[in-house]
Amino acid sequence: MMVAPVTPKSWYLPSKPHKFCPGCGHGIVLKALGEAIDELEIQDRTVFGCDIGCSLLSWDFFACDSTQTHHGRTTPVMVGIKRSRPELITIGYMGDGGGYSIGSQHLLNAAVRNEKVTLILVNNTNYGMTGGQMAPTTLPGQKTETSPFGRDPEETGYPTKGPEFIAELTPDSAYVARATVSKYNQLKRFIRNALRNQMEGNGFSFVEVLSTCPTNWRTNAQQTWRFLEDEMEPYFPVGELKTPFGKGGAK
Amino acid sequence: MVTHQYSDRIVEAFVGEYASGKSEMAINRAIELRKLGHKVTLVDLDTVEPFYTLRPLKELLEEQDLHIISFSTKESFGLGETGAMLNPRARWALMNEGDIILDIGYGVYGAKTLNLVEGAEESLELKVMAVFNYSRPMTNSLDKIIEYIKDLGRVDAIVANTHLGNETTLDIIIKGNNEIIKAGQELNIPIAYIAIDKVLYDEAKDYNFALPVKYIERYMPNAMW
Amino acid sequence: MPNVIGETKKAFITGNEAVAWATLAAGADIMFGYPITPQNEVMHYWTRLAPKHGRGFLQTEDEISAGFTVCGAVQAGKKAFTATAGPGNVLMQEPFGMAEAMRLPLVAIIQQRGGPSSGTVIYSQQEVTLTTFGGNGEGHRIVYSTATHQEMYDYTIKAFNSAWKYRFPTFVLGDGYQAKMREPLEMYNPEEKGLEIVKPFPLVGLDGHIGDNREPQHLCNIYSMEEELYEVVLDFVKDYNAIIPEVAEYQAQQCEDAEIIILTHGVVSRAADDAVKILRSQGIKAGSFRPITLRPFPTNDLRNVIANSKAKTMLIAESAYGQLDRLVKQEIYGETIKIENLFMPGVGIIDYDIISKVKSII
Repeated sequence: MMVAPVTPKSWYLPSKPHKFCPGCGHGIVLKALGEAIDELEIQDRTVFGCDIGCSLLSWDFFACDSTQTHHGRTTPVMVGIKRSRPELITIGYMGDGGGYSIGSQHLLNAAVRNEKVTLILVNNTNYGMTGGQMAPTTLPGQKTETSPFGRDPEETGYPTKGPEFIAELTPDSAYVARATVSKYNQLKRFIRNALRNQMEGNGFSFVEVLSTCPTNWRTNAQQTWRFLEDEMEPYFPVGELKTPFGKGGAK
Repeated sequence: MVTHQYSDRIVEAFVGEYASGKSEMAINRAIELRKLGHKVTLVDLDTVEPFYTLRPLKELLEEQDLHIISFSTKESFGLGETGAMLNPRARWALMNEGDIILDIGYGVYGAKTLNLVEGAEESLELKVMAVFNYSRPMTNSLDKIIEYIKDLGRVDAIVANTHLGNETTLDIIIKGNNEIIKAGQELNIPIAYIAIDKVLYDEAKDYNFALPVKYIERYMPNAMW
Repeated sequence: MPNVIGETKKAFITGNEAVAWATLAAGADIMFGYPITPQNEVMHYWTRLAPKHGRGFLQTEDEISAGFTVCGAVQAGKKAFTATAGPGNVLMQEPFGMAEAMRLPLVAIIQQRGGPSSGTVIYSQQEVTLTTFGGNGEGHRIVYSTATHQEMYDYTIKAFNSAWKYRFPTFVLGDGYQAKMREPLEMYNPEEKGLEIVKPFPLVGLDGHIGDNREPQHLCNIYSMEEELYEVVLDFVKDYNAIIPEVAEYQAQQCEDAEIIILTHGVVSRAADDAVKILRSQGIKAGSFRPITLRPFPTNDLRNVIANSKAKTMLIAESAYGQLDRLVKQEIYGETIKIENLFMPGVGIIDYDIISKVKSII
């Protein structure tokens, strides 16, 4: 007998099944986000903004008010909404290209100003939607369509460590974490903390999520998981870098 | 401790709200003193605004035998964007011989711009003149003027310069300046004089202002960059 | 609406201040801005005044962000605006494009400076093409080109009404001279003049419970199918064309018996009006036409003026090298009136310049 999976109440069912590739991590992140929205009972006052890139495919993912922005510009749109209507919960959803490259000045300055928005950045080490080009997060030696012989840090630098620099830029009231789709419960806890931090009006909340891109990595299921756990996680350490809730305070 | 030799030279700094008439007052005062035979240095200390300052008028004023410390428009070409430019010679302006007239730009620091001028703080000669135009929205009530003067910092005297450009009437001048005068009385700051455009001389000459009146020439409309 | 102006009276102010006061009077809730000359005093005065009236301000990291924060704020249902110039206007074309695509009631004040590139910080009319047709869209924007401080005040108020009524991004196109010149104007509360202020409304963050008594909003600017986008753009065209008769504005003076029509916009139209007076006093019958809206262009009005005029020649004068000229020619294609030009990019035009040109061509 087929058992339909339980979907979060805040998911928008007419848009399901979703459009992400098989094996893509986005679905896991968005499930964690959906469950967090449900548990915190903020569906009616959430505004979800998505960047351009694969994250765009989430534009009608939630039964929450949602808006598309431009590549890299989700952060300022969310800031504009939050500054105008502080009672709303604003969630910006973007990829590593949008957040760390074309939109890096917005991310950096929103962090410095401690804007009371929640940003979720999905790191899959490449530009997925445009066909697998090198991203700020591409690992040394990793082949992409624009680093065909592998990323050479002498030429193009080392992968951007986002949460690390954002933790440096933000005051203690900010929430900064790196999660991975390989640890679902932790991922959901971090996202919930990032939303809670905004709900309590504390400050900037940022979660980078290590994710998978088998389509562009050209990996089977085992290879995909191995790349995530054995290549990415050692380079990008997972955990809370800054939390106003303290150890154990994080539910 | 710096010692100062007493002299009877005139050192005046004109401060006040944006577009209140500071530059106009400074130019007219400098020319007035020059006509009395004084040696006069006119100093542009407008650090904010590359427009409506002395810069475009520099050569014209030099023809009147005034010593002008200001960038000329040409010198500031391309630097206008930075706006906040201090001519190094302005820093040492008080070391010049003769009368010194300082035109201070507007900004949140008010009269504190004088901190940029070496020796201004210790100077016994310096008089800080605050210029007010009641037609300026930020200073169009008694309360606003009083608040504005308090924010300016040091003010030794007030110049009442109410006008409405080419729509000025005697009525506008009298009504506006009366409020400025009241503010001076309340704060115990003397009114140095009332400034009136000389084109209104015939209308204004028979009115008893009970205060000194200076009929001024408006140079600044020619100072478009 | 709160009374922010007090009693209506004349004030002696700069154009930038006129904008700051007008945005307050129009009920703007929040400004997002980034420093660039010659619009800085819009921010200086907004930041001095806004807190007293419970309004917001954010100095963003760049003009791109200023434009996109405005896009966010208006989606949240607040009257938001920005002000910029030159290179800032270039950067803002990206958010302006989003406002076109999503029909966001964004308001921007443009104080033109010299270009290309950083150019001068002073004056020009070289942002006409950028402001009317910038971006990768079809120019579905409303652009008011003002000539006096009174107009800067009046049209800034009007810009918010047009933006929220028609939901096309709306611009007040001034210039460095207008920004910095001082002249008297009347400041008033719009209601006292019988002007109705169009109320803002949210596009996201709506009241009610999703799935209960309302649907979630999904706003988009990207489409999968060419046909989808085609339908959307054609709808925009239809909506935009429908508002032209209501929105397009112009001024024409003494064109009927004129032998030459002087066509200008913005601050240059003041020189044109003076030139018409002087030329007529010298026996040369000149008239003037001035589009107040550069988008939508008062095309039919200009065609009518030409049809009803004796003029065989039209002089287009602008502080740019043909930006207004191109706009006019594309709008009145087919008219046979001879067109002459006075192009002075980045430089002020005075009555003397126009008079000399007129005398050289008739």
